[in-house]
Amino acid sequence: MMGKLKLGVFELTDCGGCALNVLFLYERLFDVLEFYEVGEFHMASSLHENEHYDVSIVTGTVSTHRDLEVLREARNRSNYLIALGTCATHGSVQGSVEMPIREKLKAVYGDESNPMRAMDSKPVVEHVAVDLAIPGCPYNKEELYQALMDIAKGIDPVRPDYPVCVECKLNEYECVLIKKDLPCLGPITLGGCNAVCIRSGLGCIGCRGPLPGEVNPASEYEILRSKGYDDDYIVRKFKTFARWEP
Amino acid sequence: MIIELREFTRVEGNGKAEIVIEDGEVKDVRLKIIEGPRFFELLTIGRHYYDVPDIEARICAICYLAHSVASVMGIERAFGVEVPEEITLLRELGLIGELLESHALHLYLLVAPDVFGYPDAIRMASKHGELVKEGIALKAFGNRIRELIGGREIHGINVKPGGFGRYPTTEELEAIERESAAFLRLAKRAVRLFASLGPYGEKAEHFLATDNYLWGEKLIAEDKESFHYAERIEERSLVYSFAKQSLYGGEPFFVGSLARLLLKGEQLTPEAKRLLEEHREKLSTGYVSYNNLAQAIELVYALERAGEIAKTLLDRGISGENVPVEPKEGEGIGYVEAPRGVLIHHYRTDSDGKIAYSNIITPTALNHAMIEVSLLKEARALYGEVDEGEMVQRLEETVRAFDPCISCSVHLVKF
Repeated sequence: MMGKLKLGVFELTDCGGCALNVLFLYERLFDVLEFYEVGEFHMASSLHENEHYDVSIVTGTVSTHRDLEVLREARNRSNYLIALGTCATHGSVQGSVEMPIREKLKAVYGDESNPMRAMDSKPVVEHVAVDLAIPGCPYNKEELYQALMDIAKGIDPVRPDYPVCVECKLNEYECVLIKKDLPCLGPITLGGCNAVCIRSGLGCIGCRGPLPGEVNPASEYEILRSKGYDDDYIVRKFKTFARWEP
Repeated sequence: MIIELREFTRVEGNGKAEIVIEDGEVKDVRLKIIEGPRFFELLTIGRHYYDVPDIEARICAICYLAHSVASVMGIERAFGVEVPEEITLLRELGLIGELLESHALHLYLLVAPDVFGYPDAIRMASKHGELVKEGIALKAFGNRIRELIGGREIHGINVKPGGFGRYPTTEELEAIERESAAFLRLAKRAVRLFASLGPYGEKAEHFLATDNYLWGEKLIAEDKESFHYAERIEERSLVYSFAKQSLYGGEPFFVGSLARLLLKGEQLTPEAKRLLEEHREKLSTGYVSYNNLAQAIELVYALERAGEIAKTLLDRGISGENVPVEPKEGEGIGYVEAPRGVLIHHYRTDSDGKIAYSNIITPTALNHAMIEVSLLKEARALYGEVDEGEMVQRLEETVRAFDPCISCSVHLVKF
């Protein structure tokens, strides 16, 4: 067998969920470790090898100059870079506060000075080129597992290209938008989550970002308006996870 | 001279410490939270209450349900909505799942490598594979409960003001009752293993917790008088950190498993109570390092309590009815025990049900001052005695005992 691929996991500013979700592969993590050797994974390990990585995963948004330095290092040292999770691909929730950084600091810390060098939160893809973007807040861990296995075997990972509604219908869930008048972004959101929130009988909140290509947000907007949701509600709902589109 | 230590590892989020040396002595230690600010309170201002718990859950993945439950409770209290016991028991069950998941991650995958001298659990698995597998199995069980109540392992949206999107079925509750009993043996073994750690760090003089075991109407401290947070906790900003620091009567205090056991031991389940008595002498010294042992005892509590709740709900039958929620102008505070301690969500709402004010105080922010005094004590004992590598390792162990959640701690707000 050939040598194992060197894997780096780098966390920028986020909730920790995307790194944690790697650990939630449980026993299958050991399958991944048949092909990969972990060089850097600060949540799980005290090792820092800081050298070359065959594959790197970056989670989170760039929210400080430190994040930007870590991201550039990861990019420069890695052959294949994966932007993992909606923070890294679309900016997610912290990327959606539309206010200049100094005003935000003033509102939260009572002072607009910036000794810790905070920046406006932006996704990884706004700063560097990536080889693969896997969105989701959090991403579907099956998708990451498959992607890591594919990359190890030299196969280009398959990316979902259909809305959440497809998986909702395959599961035969009742349409919560039409039947229950709940705000559901399923028709315009990238699938791949197996419509997990509709399983709870609730509407999709759009955590995987907008479906690229043939989506029809205008129609979604009209439906939500007809259900009694106001402009402000709809606009904020649309932008919650994906103010930055890749 | 300032010695800047490398970033902490095997903790959740990005943080580091710097040690201030003057005249050859350790003068001060500063805990720097370098995770970027995330402005969660700004994100929810003006937003309709219905979407708020789902957004607040994103503050932290390890304790997302604690955030959504605290958010839901704060919103319900602002509207004057009261929910029946079925709903509070199910929320408590979700919090128990989260506690199991979080404590298992912390003890087996992050702390155990310190016990056996490995850089991480993956490398530890070569010699102690069984232990790693036990930890993973417990964590997976906790996550199954989180998925059942919360809707997903991470960031599910099933917990809503007034109830749930989906209620568990009889079969699902039976599985929880059965499995929680089966895991008890592992948890008791964990208590024996983690009883060997410590003491290190500082002794805590004050402890804070919610009045019920995993959530509350108010907070309590040593005197057991209940109070709202603003009556006894003051917050201050720090120039060197994105976290704010909290003090109790001007002094550092501790929140987390150790505080819960010491303040609310009488609420524990039988086997957990017995283990608390067995280790009470050690735990009552107040050394923060015994928080690891306290977490292991809470694994036993969580499994026993999960079984109790499942049984109660099965005996009564699930009605699955939500309470209607009428938005109105109001103010409410949700108090929850996240796995790593007290979590506070405070809201004011307007008559349309939109958020007008929000203040979120997280356990690691509450513990921030206590972490610093513990680091100071350790650094003073170690400086000049060991090399820098050893010092970082030992200081990391001290920080790790708090089970800090740095992602959570970075967005405290006062408008």
